[in-house]
Amino acid sequence: MRNNFTLIILLLLLYFSTSAIAQEIPVSGKVTGADQGSPLPGVSVLVKGTTTGTTTDANGNFSIQVPSSNATLVFRYLGYETKEVQVGNQSVINVTLSTDTRQLSEVVVTAMGITREKKALGYAASTVETEELVQNRQANVLNAMQGKVAGATITSTGGAPGQGASIIIRGINSIDPNRSSDPLYVIDGVLIDNTTSTFGEGAELRGMSNRLADINPDNIESINILKGGAATALYGLRGANGVVVITTKRGQEGALRVNFTSTAGIEEVNKFPDMQDTYTQGYLGVYDPESFWPSWGPTVEEARQIDPTHPAELYNHFEDAYETGHQYRNSLSFSGGNNAITFYSSISHLRHEGVLPFTDYENIQARLNTDVKLSDKVTTGANFTFVNSGGNRYNADRFNESLSYWSPRWDVTDYIKPDGTMNTYRNNNPIYGAFTNKLEDDVNRFIGGLNFGYQPKEWLGFSYRIGLDTYTDDRTRTAPGPRGVADEIVYEDNGLGFVNEYTTKFRAINSTFITTLQSSFGENFNGTIRLGHELYDRKVKSFGVEGTELAVFDYFNLTNARFLTSVQQEEEYRLMGFFGEASVDYKNLLFLTLTGRNDITSSLERSNRSFFYPSVSLSYVFSEQFDLPSFINMGKLRLSYAEIGKDALPYSTSSGFANYTGLPTGYTGFTRAALLGNEDLRPEFTNTYEAGLEMSFLNNRLGFDFTYYYSLSKDQILNIQVASSTGFVRAAVNSGEMRNKGVEIALNAVPVQTNDFSWDTKLVFSANRNKILSIREGLEEIPYASQFGYVGSTVTLKLIPGQPYGNIYGSHYQRYYGPGEEEDPLFIDENRPIVIGANGFPVRAPLSSQKILGNSQPDWVGGLTNTFRYKNLSLTSLFDARQGFEKYNQLGNFFAAFGIAEYTENRNETIVFDGVLKDGTPNTKPVFLGQGIGPDGVNYGNGYYRNVYRGVSENFVEDASWVRLRSLTLSYTLPSSWFEDIFVRNASVSLTGNNLWLSTDYSGFDPETSSAPSGSNVDAFAGFTYPAVRSYLFTLNVGF
Amino acid sequence: MKRYLRYTLAFLLMGALISLQSCEDYFDLDENPNLVNNPPLPTLLSTTTQKTGLNSQRVGSITSFFVQYLASPVAGSSTDTYEVTDYTSTWDALYLAMADIYDMKQKAQEQEAPNYVGVANILMAYHLMLVTDLWGDAPYSEAFDQSTLTPKFDKQEELYNVILTLLDEAVTELSKNDSRVALSPVNDLIHNGNKNNWIKTAYALKARQLNKVSGTTAYNAQAVLAAVEKSYTSNADNADMGVFATINPWASVARNNALLILGGWLSEQLVEHLKGTTTGIMDPRLQKITDPTVTGAFIGTPNGVGNVGSASSTVKDEVYISLNSPITEEDAPLIIVSYPEVKMIEAEAAFRAGNRQRAYNAYLEGIRASMQLFEVSTAAANAYINSPEVSVGAANLTLNLIFKEKYVITYLNPEAWNDARRFDYAYAGFTLPVNAALNTFIRRVAYPQGEASKNPNTPETPPLSDPLWWDK
Repeated sequence: MRNNFTLIILLLLLYFSTSAIAQEIPVSGKVTGADQGSPLPGVSVLVKGTTTGTTTDANGNFSIQVPSSNATLVFRYLGYETKEVQVGNQSVINVTLSTDTRQLSEVVVTAMGITREKKALGYAASTVETEELVQNRQANVLNAMQGKVAGATITSTGGAPGQGASIIIRGINSIDPNRSSDPLYVIDGVLIDNTTSTFGEGAELRGMSNRLADINPDNIESINILKGGAATALYGLRGANGVVVITTKRGQEGALRVNFTSTAGIEEVNKFPDMQDTYTQGYLGVYDPESFWPSWGPTVEEARQIDPTHPAELYNHFEDAYETGHQYRNSLSFSGGNNAITFYSSISHLRHEGVLPFTDYENIQARLNTDVKLSDKVTTGANFTFVNSGGNRYNADRFNESLSYWSPRWDVTDYIKPDGTMNTYRNNNPIYGAFTNKLEDDVNRFIGGLNFGYQPKEWLGFSYRIGLDTYTDDRTRTAPGPRGVADEIVYEDNGLGFVNEYTTKFRAINSTFITTLQSSFGENFNGTIRLGHELYDRKVKSFGVEGTELAVFDYFNLTNARFLTSVQQEEEYRLMGFFGEASVDYKNLLFLTLTGRNDITSSLERSNRSFFYPSVSLSYVFSEQFDLPSFINMGKLRLSYAEIGKDALPYSTSSGFANYTGLPTGYTGFTRAALLGNEDLRPEFTNTYEAGLEMSFLNNRLGFDFTYYYSLSKDQILNIQVASSTGFVRAAVNSGEMRNKGVEIALNAVPVQTNDFSWDTKLVFSANRNKILSIREGLEEIPYASQFGYVGSTVTLKLIPGQPYGNIYGSHYQRYYGPGEEEDPLFIDENRPIVIGANGFPVRAPLSSQKILGNSQPDWVGGLTNTFRYKNLSLTSLFDARQGFEKYNQLGNFFAAFGIAEYTENRNETIVFDGVLKDGTPNTKPVFLGQGIGPDGVNYGNGYYRNVYRGVSENFVEDASWVRLRSLTLSYTLPSSWFEDIFVRNASVSLTGNNLWLSTDYSGFDPETSSAPSGSNVDAFAGFTYPAVRSYLFTLNVGF
Repeated sequence: MKRYLRYTLAFLLMGALISLQSCEDYFDLDENPNLVNNPPLPTLLSTTTQKTGLNSQRVGSITSFFVQYLASPVAGSSTDTYEVTDYTSTWDALYLAMADIYDMKQKAQEQEAPNYVGVANILMAYHLMLVTDLWGDAPYSEAFDQSTLTPKFDKQEELYNVILTLLDEAVTELSKNDSRVALSPVNDLIHNGNKNNWIKTAYALKARQLNKVSGTTAYNAQAVLAAVEKSYTSNADNADMGVFATINPWASVARNNALLILGGWLSEQLVEHLKGTTTGIMDPRLQKITDPTVTGAFIGTPNGVGNVGSASSTVKDEVYISLNSPITEEDAPLIIVSYPEVKMIEAEAAFRAGNRQRAYNAYLEGIRASMQLFEVSTAAANAYINSPEVSVGAANLTLNLIFKEKYVITYLNPEAWNDARRFDYAYAGFTLPVNAALNTFIRRVAYPQGEASKNPNTPETPPLSDPLWWDK
């Protein structure tokens, strides 16, 4: 394949070089840009209707031979409007090109901070600019990108303050579910950490932040998302999941500018599940105000006759338990400089109080960016960010689970007694849990980078950059012990009180050195060669002490605990890469880029540690070559191929013995480590092919960008879960193939543009298809996650060859198969009737039959942004859609088991289930749906919902597809005439609504939320999550 | 072109320099700092002996519902009512402990420490008994040894023989005096490094195992008696484990229950058994097992029914596992196998062998030793033992009496369920839990989801009413 590719390129080159032959009249001139009047290098100059052409040199000069004086020259330059000039009798033609405001991001930041013209790129590039990013005022950078990037699926795991968000670029590409699909993040050349640490007992369910949440989106100038192997090739294996290149705002030469932005807002839960409101506390229809069972009692009216204190209506305990959240963020920035030094500095403060009581998050940060130009040849710069972030996190899973047990006969908000103990009829009060059972994190982070540039010759440059990302993450987890007052009911999770202290120290250094050689050779060729060296060195150390049984019930100090246990873990990782990139362009219309990188990693054994992989990409701006109809402004074809390597998670090659934690102080024990390591692990490789077409029309008022990609990962390194009868929990293996293919489409249009009014629209769409081609030999499946469901309705996520990632397997109803008809072992045939048992109830197939009930990966995702501007007013809406995926609703399972779901209202009905008996004849037996003795005198025991319904996973794997109005922003720029006499330079106000509208068939909370922490590939569970929120924000921006 | 070459050369040299400086060792990070490669044998001994004690309790916390020592405070609770329940965490705890035991044995063999080999054999045999008596067929011959990720399931009958072999070998290994590493008294959390007691435990378990097949043709009463004779001679020999990260796990159930995190409710069956409603005489161990209710009475909870006292669970009107019991107090050791139980095994085997006097003597000694273990006063113990309901005379001794007494002796111990199944649950007044998922008593539990989903060799679980091999 690679050889063929090279051959094609050579042929193309040959074709173009032979086509430039005819020469008659010499014409020369200079091309300048209308914006700054400076000469434009690299402008395409073409004789209309021919393939004859040239490009301007570094000073904007060109010379060309035209066939006759009738010839017309076409001047084309990306970012500028195309101009045609008839030659006539002129021999010198000076042209000024006016800027094309529609042509954004003509220059893009690519791998290693290298800026390249967009047209030279042989792969798709997606950019989100600052205005788009801050438009919906999201505190987390990833949330701010939602719906704006083709090829990226971005998910907010829940609505907690500071809660993590996940991004998956072009599908999950590792079979190992424990390997994050998180891309690499680079801020101004510093490789930063975006893990979501779940260190510390119970942290995985507490909605911890992904570390990118530390970054204030207000400081970002642009984000470039590098998606395929060719785009990320220079970053090496750490870029295997894509790279998010963040460029922060920098100072501009000139007077000091001050900018102040303030946002304040409120939020509420955007969607609650439906609940029955007829039946009250008790079991078997018997009222009991202290029953564990919240809703299997009699009707409210019946209960009121027994218990006059019973409220006339049940509480809506879910809606009552959640509050209105609040947030505000203030950012202040200063920027300016002279021709030698420019700077940008900012400070900001975010405070966010969530909808779940007693959850909050705070982020304070300061940033400084400076650029120094020591001479024409030497530049240097530095950027520093300091962040303090963290807050009170609560276990939303536990909160909602406890809410499910809570009887709506009682007011859940009345959670505390005057003596400080839990107020409850008996079950745990979830609000008291949130009030007392705490986890607070406190992160101090420093990100810094220094860069040096030396350009001794025009054709030669050196750059060096060193970056540091370091933080300490302190977590304190506490719960009070019993107060020892009479009749005290202790909140279950608090036990006898505990105090746990955890600290994680993270440090990563990266160093990058690049040499750039540039030259043009021959008349039509320009070439650039870059050679580089990169080093990444990371060290993470976590330790903690857990103290239980507090002597003084609310004194949260380790010395106050009766039992102490300690936990500790360390990880070191080192990676070095040598890389090179050679790019050649021909006449500014054909661009060829070759890259190669050799990585040396510490996570593989010596013999497999060093490996090389190449990429090649081609960009062909065919509109520069052919005389296309005038309504076509630009056309470009892209082709690329890349191979990219990947190493193992640290320490996957070694086994050993871990500390056994069950012993008290004074005893030491070791136990076999959970992972069976594998010394022979080899690097895994992913091959990606990508093709794309980019065009713009009608003076760039319409444009599209289409990409197709195909990637195949082989020899994957997996830590698979193994049966505990092996004596291990996981085993490291080198096996399996996975394929992703998909399309990405971006459409831009300006349907209306007048002086006062404009309408811009942008659509992004992407669809990915994943398939597991093979797993380990001898294994039929790899189960990687499961979530509990009552009596056999637990669902499992499994990888099975031939099936895509994300399939949800679970129990299902028995369908009728006639004699000789074969049942598909994996899929349910929905068209077949359900088999009804002799007792008149639907029959669940044997639990050994676990079928595919859904898939958590969407068929497609899309975002539609519309911006309407009228004079100083603008309105932006963002619709976001994720379609064709399913999730397991654990909350729904509990709602069935506890008679909370709205559909259980029919529990006192007698019905005939639709279906057939074992012999295929229609079922006619009427059955009572409730508990105990039915009207027919038969004892129905615990009733249909507990005996049958809750035990069938099929009932709880739901279509989670959604379309939402992600955001709507109305903003008004105050007329500058208002500020003529005062120091204010500009000002604007805006109102933003997030998640204003949601359309979904899913019955639980907003299905975007997820039970697993951000960064996890397990996204199929959305039961007891921190619910998503709808927020209303007011923003004021003033520039001085 | 020359200058390119020159600069490229310079760059390459620089690159070479950098890579030389960062020599190959820089990337040698394959040693996991969180792990050790060669833990000393005593550190494996502490792990395996503790896990053995805890696993005994873990299994007991399931089986105690089946034998109706315990009853759930919530109606229709799954274990209580024989529903198919997923015991993955129990299975995992057993198998991961067996992996540690396996590793200890391997290392002991390498280091020529036969005493550790012997202890490992005993602990392995005990774990296998726990596993196979819950589930039947189970992985062993291909388990833990890294040869496969999907070990096959060995037949229960084969495991039965493996257990006996392991125990016999244990005696041989422990009898050796050339162990290069002595059993560490501090780290041996079961017998404090006492080899002789380990040998006795091997025989106690062997007696238990041989006695288990009482319903099959493999049963040999003389073999049981031979094992008993080499086993315990007093409660001082008992295999128990009392070192906890915090407190005894039963005590923790009791303490949680006191904090209204309900659990550890004693079954009506056990309470009535001890009160003598079903047996004719009040057992003084009742007051050593639990505390009376607020009204001073002893009231158990019927299985499957849940809380039947006053609706309020803040009123202590049932009886629970107690923090005041010598068996379940905070620092009480977890009993794995005891002298009183061995005496009852002797009584049963002698009875089956037709030696009624030996059976009767062992029966009375078993009760006496049990009274001692429960810290019952000598007077109260004697009053009970000398009562006509207990001291029936050798001629009137029945298997029913032996099983009746053993039922109390094995309070909370997993062995109780083996006895109950062998005895076909024929205890006086023993009934199915209310709303039971089966229409007969439970005989096995279902293979856990955790193993079944990762190991395709996991067999289908037959109905839970299907007896195990030795129970047929």
